Amino acid sequence: MSERRILLGNEAIARGVVESGCAVATAYPGTPSSEILPAIAAYSDEMGTNTQVEWGANEKVALEMAIGACYAGKRSCAVMKQVGLNVAADPFMSVAHQKLDGGLLVVVSDDPGCHASQDDQDSRAYAAAAKIPCFDPSDAREAKAMVADAFDLADRYGVMAMLRPTVRVDHCRQDVEIMDDVVSQKDAVFDRKPAGKRIVMPAVIHGFLDDHSDRFEAIRGEFGAMDRYNFEVPSEEPAKLGVIACGISYSVVRDILNRLGRKDVSILKIGTPVPLPVNLVEDFVDRHDRVLILEETQPVVEGQIPNRTAVMGRWNGWVPKTGELVPEVVESLLLRALGVEEDLSDREVFNKIEEELSPEKRRPRLCPGCSHRPAYFSIRKVFPDAVVASDIGCYGLAIAQNAVDTNICMGGSVTAASGIYLAFKADGKGTDRPIFATLGDSTFFHSGMTGLATAVYNRHAFVLVILDNRITAMTGGQDHPGTGDKMRSGEEGVSVSIEEAVKGCGVKWLSVLDPYDIEKNKKTIEKAWEHASSNREPAVIVFRHPCITMLKVKPEYRPVKVDPSACIGCGLCIRDFNCPGLVWDQATGKAMVDDRYCVNCGVCVAVCPKGAIVPEGGDR
Amino acid sequence: MRIVIVGVGGQGILFSSKVLGEIALRRGEKVVGSEVHGMSQRGGSVISHFKSGDHFGPLVQVGDADVVLAFDTDEAIRNVSFLRPGGTLIVNCDDPARFEAGAMGEYLRDKDIKVLPVDGYGILRERMRGRFLFLNVMILGALVASDSSGLSMEDMESAVADLSPERFRDDNLKALNLGFER
Repeated sequence: MSERRILLGNEAIARGVVESGCAVATAYPGTPSSEILPAIAAYSDEMGTNTQVEWGANEKVALEMAIGACYAGKRSCAVMKQVGLNVAADPFMSVAHQKLDGGLLVVVSDDPGCHASQDDQDSRAYAAAAKIPCFDPSDAREAKAMVADAFDLADRYGVMAMLRPTVRVDHCRQDVEIMDDVVSQKDAVFDRKPAGKRIVMPAVIHGFLDDHSDRFEAIRGEFGAMDRYNFEVPSEEPAKLGVIACGISYSVVRDILNRLGRKDVSILKIGTPVPLPVNLVEDFVDRHDRVLILEETQPVVEGQIPNRTAVMGRWNGWVPKTGELVPEVVESLLLRALGVEEDLSDREVFNKIEEELSPEKRRPRLCPGCSHRPAYFSIRKVFPDAVVASDIGCYGLAIAQNAVDTNICMGGSVTAASGIYLAFKADGKGTDRPIFATLGDSTFFHSGMTGLATAVYNRHAFVLVILDNRITAMTGGQDHPGTGDKMRSGEEGVSVSIEEAVKGCGVKWLSVLDPYDIEKNKKTIEKAWEHASSNREPAVIVFRHPCITMLKVKPEYRPVKVDPSACIGCGLCIRDFNCPGLVWDQATGKAMVDDRYCVNCGVCVAVCPKGAIVPEGGDR
Repeated sequence: MRIVIVGVGGQGILFSSKVLGEIALRRGEKVVGSEVHGMSQRGGSVISHFKSGDHFGPLVQVGDADVVLAFDTDEAIRNVSFLRPGGTLIVNCDDPARFEAGAMGEYLRDKDIKVLPVDGYGILRERMRGRFLFLNVMILGALVASDSSGLSMEDMESAVADLSPERFRDDNLKALNLGFER
């Protein structure tokens, strides 16, 4: 039985994973990949499979769990975003060289254009470095089909395969064919023979390297014959231009050629960029005078083309070196390659419109009612000069209230604070400037704990602030060891205590606070730094308040208004508190409450130095 | 049909594109679209592209949209470039003059773009006790009324009713009709 449903690309991938008989699926959430694992849980429930679905505390943990399942002969799958693959790179590279028993699929979602990421890296390059096959889908339907083929290939060759969707595939919505059947699988078995097959150490791995290389070349041959993913769309008229297009760029370029009515451009679509079916590409390049190559983000296919003299790509500056290949960019590249002058007159008009009407620029910031806002506000209030290292997660958005000074990656706040402390220490200055590290609950379990243990051991003086909102909020509200909740219906987890973990790391000074209580908390923040600096060791504050958006928690109803006679228009509430519920009234030069966004949490009453933000009274 | 939906995080933009997709699927059309996730929930700009019919990519190109649904005036200004000549702009806006004067007015007249302003917040304040979360469905009502989409009120009502969580169903249908009649 089959049925057509509108699915998010990530749901299509998840459906493919369950239909393929995957026994163990793991992940750490990260945009644009986050919806995949919960959808696997939902489809597993719907289809009655016994798929084990688990969040790992981080991507390395998740991948290693999937590898273990694969060692026991089961199809398994680990899901992450491109930056997460850096965390998992260690097991990723090692397992790539092993001959596996179950099929192992790693799904890595890339984010060209950095919509929700700190970088633009291309995971296909990781696949090339590890010498594993990579599938590069151009839409949701193809992504689902590729999951089935990737598992099949992984099974037959005993390799880890990669599916690498990009953000526009993950987050496209498309009508997709789904099936009721699940590919049946053999029972789990751990085969100890031949000895050493799952050991990585120099003496053993040497014997595997040639095999690994041979498998890679054999897969190149298979990809050359996979004409459902690698095919030519010939031009209807003699071709003036050839285009090699990969992933979403293929879908984009087809729409544009239809829109422009050009029938003189032929396309070679490549859905399996690593290992590249070089013969297909060479043949296409030979038959065209000029070839434009479109791929996101790095020149992974381009770099594998032996003769690039007729190729217009990144190496000769034809294609922009960074950023997303959105339709506007692709059209402009095509027109230039075809020698057509672009009409840019509208662009000037749009500039003029924006100049005249100056629409408000919206940078991401913390939600109204978010508990991180008062936590950061309090720290800055007590120590305006503190160095505040932060991390990748919602709380990093406090940069908009000028409360965050650094962020690197998950867990990096703790270790950066250590380094900042050491830098001052090296100058013999010790602890005259307060140092704070801030990170979330999920991030603490992801990779904050290791940094904290290191800081305790080495006696680093800073205050670690764990902003515990009981959820992984930035990526849409996933669970983690601290929440203890699980994805599949009927499954129960155990909540791991942050306080106990902190104490277990050897921290002696710990305080748990409600961030909403700004006035009360100022003293404790002062004491925490006093302890850290005088004892030369980390002190920890846990600010605990549930996420207002993800957990749908309504704060106590405490509506406020701005008293215009008391407001002196200093702008502190806008600048340092930065809540969307408080806006600047140009006409009066004073702050006012915007009822469209205000959630009536009343926290801002403690913010105004003149007491101009006052409770309004009234019931919900 | 190519529709671009723009607004601010939390306005229910994704629900609107889900409704449009459901209607197209029921009509047997192919559907492809794209939404921006991640940073958008925190009050940043949100954009959703919707295409039904024979298309490959999920993104609507600048100058190619039949309709722009703007849940926010500033986002409408920033994204008016998506409209094709002869297209329709449906915008939540309490000051229609912004789309009549100056370079904007000139551009819209020049390209024969129809503008349908809806004072969404005003109407919701007055008729639905300021429950602004129903803005999205109200705009969908205005979309049907605009006659620019070929959608009937019957199709729209049944899709909205089926996709609404039970506790919002009646209010969603009320907001839909407020948008249709506005």
